[in-house]
Amino acid sequence: MFSSDTLLLATIALPFVGSLVASLLPTNARNAEAWLACGTALCVLVSLSLLYPAMADEQIVRSEFEWIPSAGLSFVLRVDGFAWIFALLITGVGFLVFLYARYYMSPEDPVPRFFAFLLAFMGSMLGIALSGNLIQLVFFWELTSFFSFLLIGYWHHDASARAGARIALTVTASGGLCLFAGVIVLGHIAGSYDLDRVLAAGDVIRGHALYLPALVLILIGALTKSAQFPFHFWLPRAMAAPTPVSAYLHSATMVKAGVFLLARLWPVLGGTDYWLYIVGSAGLVTFVMGAFLAMFQNDLKSVLAYSTLSHLGLITLLLGLDSPLATVAAIFHMLNHATFKASLFMGVGIIDHETGTRDIRRLSGLYRFLPVTATLAMVAAAAMAGVPLLNGFLSKEMFFAETIATHNGSLLDDALPYVATLAAMFSVAYSLRFIRDVFFGPPATLPRTPKEPPHWMRFPIELLVVVCLVVGIVPNLTIGPFLNIAVASVLGPNAPVFDLAVWHGFTLPFLMSIIALAGGVATYAVLRVYNLDTGPLFVLAKSRLSVGDTVSAWARRILGLLGTQRLQTQLRILVCVALVAGFLPLVGHKLLPETMELTPIDPAFALVWIIGIVCALATAQQAKFHRLAALILMGGAGLATCITFIYLSAPDLALTQLLVEVVTMVLILLGLRWLPKRLDEGLRQADSSTLMRRYVDLSIALAAGAGLAAVSFAVLTRQVLPDGIADHFLERSYTEGGGRNVVNVILVDFRGFDTLGEVSVLCIVALSVFALLRRFRPAPESLSVPERKRVQEAFDVDHPDRQPGETFADYLLVPSVIMRLLFPVIGTFAIYLFLRGHDFPGGGFVAGLSMAIAIILQYMAMGTVWVEHRIRVYPLRWMALGFAFAFATGIAAWLVGYPFLTSHMFIAHLPIIGDVHISSTLFFDFGVLAIVLGATVLILIALAHQTIRTHRKPSMPSAVADGVG
Amino acid sequence: MTPGLPDWVAVLTAILVLLGSILTLIGTIGLLRFKSFYARVHAPTIGTTLGIGCVLIASIIYFSVLQSRPVFHEVLIMIFVTVTTPITLMLLVKAALHRDKDAGKDHMPSHPAD
Repeated sequence: MFSSDTLLLATIALPFVGSLVASLLPTNARNAEAWLACGTALCVLVSLSLLYPAMADEQIVRSEFEWIPSAGLSFVLRVDGFAWIFALLITGVGFLVFLYARYYMSPEDPVPRFFAFLLAFMGSMLGIALSGNLIQLVFFWELTSFFSFLLIGYWHHDASARAGARIALTVTASGGLCLFAGVIVLGHIAGSYDLDRVLAAGDVIRGHALYLPALVLILIGALTKSAQFPFHFWLPRAMAAPTPVSAYLHSATMVKAGVFLLARLWPVLGGTDYWLYIVGSAGLVTFVMGAFLAMFQNDLKSVLAYSTLSHLGLITLLLGLDSPLATVAAIFHMLNHATFKASLFMGVGIIDHETGTRDIRRLSGLYRFLPVTATLAMVAAAAMAGVPLLNGFLSKEMFFAETIATHNGSLLDDALPYVATLAAMFSVAYSLRFIRDVFFGPPATLPRTPKEPPHWMRFPIELLVVVCLVVGIVPNLTIGPFLNIAVASVLGPNAPVFDLAVWHGFTLPFLMSIIALAGGVATYAVLRVYNLDTGPLFVLAKSRLSVGDTVSAWARRILGLLGTQRLQTQLRILVCVALVAGFLPLVGHKLLPETMELTPIDPAFALVWIIGIVCALATAQQAKFHRLAALILMGGAGLATCITFIYLSAPDLALTQLLVEVVTMVLILLGLRWLPKRLDEGLRQADSSTLMRRYVDLSIALAAGAGLAAVSFAVLTRQVLPDGIADHFLERSYTEGGGRNVVNVILVDFRGFDTLGEVSVLCIVALSVFALLRRFRPAPESLSVPERKRVQEAFDVDHPDRQPGETFADYLLVPSVIMRLLFPVIGTFAIYLFLRGHDFPGGGFVAGLSMAIAIILQYMAMGTVWVEHRIRVYPLRWMALGFAFAFATGIAAWLVGYPFLTSHMFIAHLPIIGDVHISSTLFFDFGVLAIVLGATVLILIALAHQTIRTHRKPSMPSAVADGVG
Repeated sequence: MTPGLPDWVAVLTAILVLLGSILTLIGTIGLLRFKSFYARVHAPTIGTTLGIGCVLIASIIYFSVLQSRPVFHEVLIMIFVTVTTPITLMLLVKAALHRDKDAGKDHMPSHPAD
């Protein structure tokens, strides 16, 4: 059979693999991904069930994979009884929800994304359950927050879904960060992050000075996840999620992660007053408040959400009571709640699906339309209310028994049985309201005439309801052994003996159940008399705590205080910070060597520099009012730099500089047209504050420039180190990199990983430019058609024998023909540059730029529409292709056992050309080429489409999106 | 003197490079001396076509002999230069014509396109 290593690894990895596959499926493959998801869940179930013998023996199965052994971190999978039960719950409910979602989701939705998220979420939950290392647990914990964000916001066109997803993420992810901090403190106390070692160090932890901070931080993490007071507000808002998501996340998994962690760490953190008061009071408040508020909800899912709050409060309260039997009850209720709440959520989903509404006030008499679903939902709701012979009754009775048992005789303890009975009454009342108002009474007028759903959509509910019944009637035969396994692993040798019998005789807890049932019916009767829609009680209950809004308002205020949206201010701060950061390390150091031997000045070279300096100064002077002149002068300064590189024997840099200069110049020129005109009012006329600001800016610029010049000068005049890095590169370029062009070898081989990072940045920049320009609203004065073009168009309109645009075409006829013909020539040049790159000046970067220039020329010569009718450049595909090539080259080295991006040189025998030596970096370099080409063309397209957009579709700014494939 | 280079090649190369430089210089002086824009535009083209042509032929001869194999990269440069110069010239002159017309200085017979 399989080893336990394989089984555990498969359990964790399968959902993620399935998620990846699902995300690659076509959008309309609804059946395929449902089968995939269900199949994955079944495989995980099988591999979990193969672990049963070990679990029955109360063993702990561990497998450890080394990750960073030097830091004491390894990937540990650990499963004991409790984790196993929890994993079974996650996978089992997951399977049923996947099946249900197959029928629930509309074919118009992008379903592969949905199943991919669900599978990834399941994997993350399994990761929490099976982590044997606390850091690893926090990682999976944050993953669940992340995927729940994506799942809640799945219908992202809906504003409430977006808001709900955002709040859920904010609350649970910040709770996760607290948990992370707490876990680090805990690991510090215990001396290890390994769960087994932490669990063994309970006494040390409870006695440590840092116990309280660790406890508070971990509890914040757990309570936010389980939506306990005061962090409960995210859960009702998360109901904007599709119902399968709610059925999965908000009944069985996501919210259970918090109480799972509490139960997991209870042996080490519990047993103190702090634990009792914090966990107990949070649980108690949530338990009562949730049950109370649930009675006044009119949205069916909100009823269930508040009821979930209440039941999670009950579990938290049980864990807070800090006794072994209470922990047994907590674990038992975790399982019971998952079964009836998941089935209720799915039932509500069916009602919503069939009738088109979830409003209790509009629904009525559904029993005659949906008899089977109604019966199932009623049984599940009865389990929720704690009616005898159902599983909810059993765990609720255990809970009552625990509230009676005295613990420390405080006021809280004395009041607990009464409060518990009161909350139980509320829960009977809302369950009754759910049953009676929705299924009975006169048939209502509904958006759709409901009918029973397909059988397989109902099947998950049927199964879960059967579980509720069977566990409720014969608990010892069904859930008993499993509960024993779970309890034994949490409590170890202290595991109490417990009795799961349905009938314990006429005891006090039974009396409490009877009172709760009777009181619940009475409460419901009173509520029916009371007008639910307008009564003050209802208004009170309806006023939601808008903590999320307050938080974002505060965040916005702080942002306004500390941040700025003005680009000039941002740049000023950036330059100042760079100046200080550059200056600080130099304090107390000598910048220049004692003796300096400067090379004699070459007059021709000095002349070039004088021209360059004049150009640069003139650029700064013209930049404000004459942008075109400034741009041309900047080009002059760039050319001076380029000549400098050639003069100092750096042809590679010169080539790159030249091409970059050309491309940026053209792109800025294209953008220049959209900048608003500025009138030269002269420096003198400006008021004093403006003048002041300009002088400050001038001094910042001078300081930054002078600093940069000083540092460059110091670097250039320093003593050459005998064993510096330059010699290292020069010596090994050919022997190890296989290329004679050292610059290129450094870029694609020695420093290949850096290059990969740099081209990624390039892509990000291009995408940002595209995204910004897509929403770009030009200033009103630059919206109009340029004057020359207007004259030409007017001429065409005046002369009936001319087509519109003919004059323009005539005007550029000869240049445009020649520019079109240049396309293949520049293309050849680019290929030439690319192929020689490894041994001579050239390479992927400049080749990509040249190719981009060829395409820019076509756009300039013939206009966007003409070009895109003939050649479509898909920049995103080029960028993706580039990354694929670069990464494939890197990973290929892995496959043959070398580090990432190790190069390999081989000799190829080509038919006509003869022997060619090819380095694997050629493929990497091609990746660079493709990325540079894609990024540059993407920016070009973003600019070029501005023209089409304003001229053709003044009211439809979305036309830009068409350009990218 | 580069080793392995026959004298006649050295002399030929030198003459061609010198010729190219002189032509370019003449063009540049013309750019400085001519009075009107339309006259000035023509002066540098002598450098960019004939001048660079001479230098490139010199380069072809020099490197072909030095490496004992035909070297023709310079042809690509020649194509670029001869193709781009007229485009630049045409665009500049068109722009100047428009500017002059807007300013009321009409030196051209009326053209339908304007």
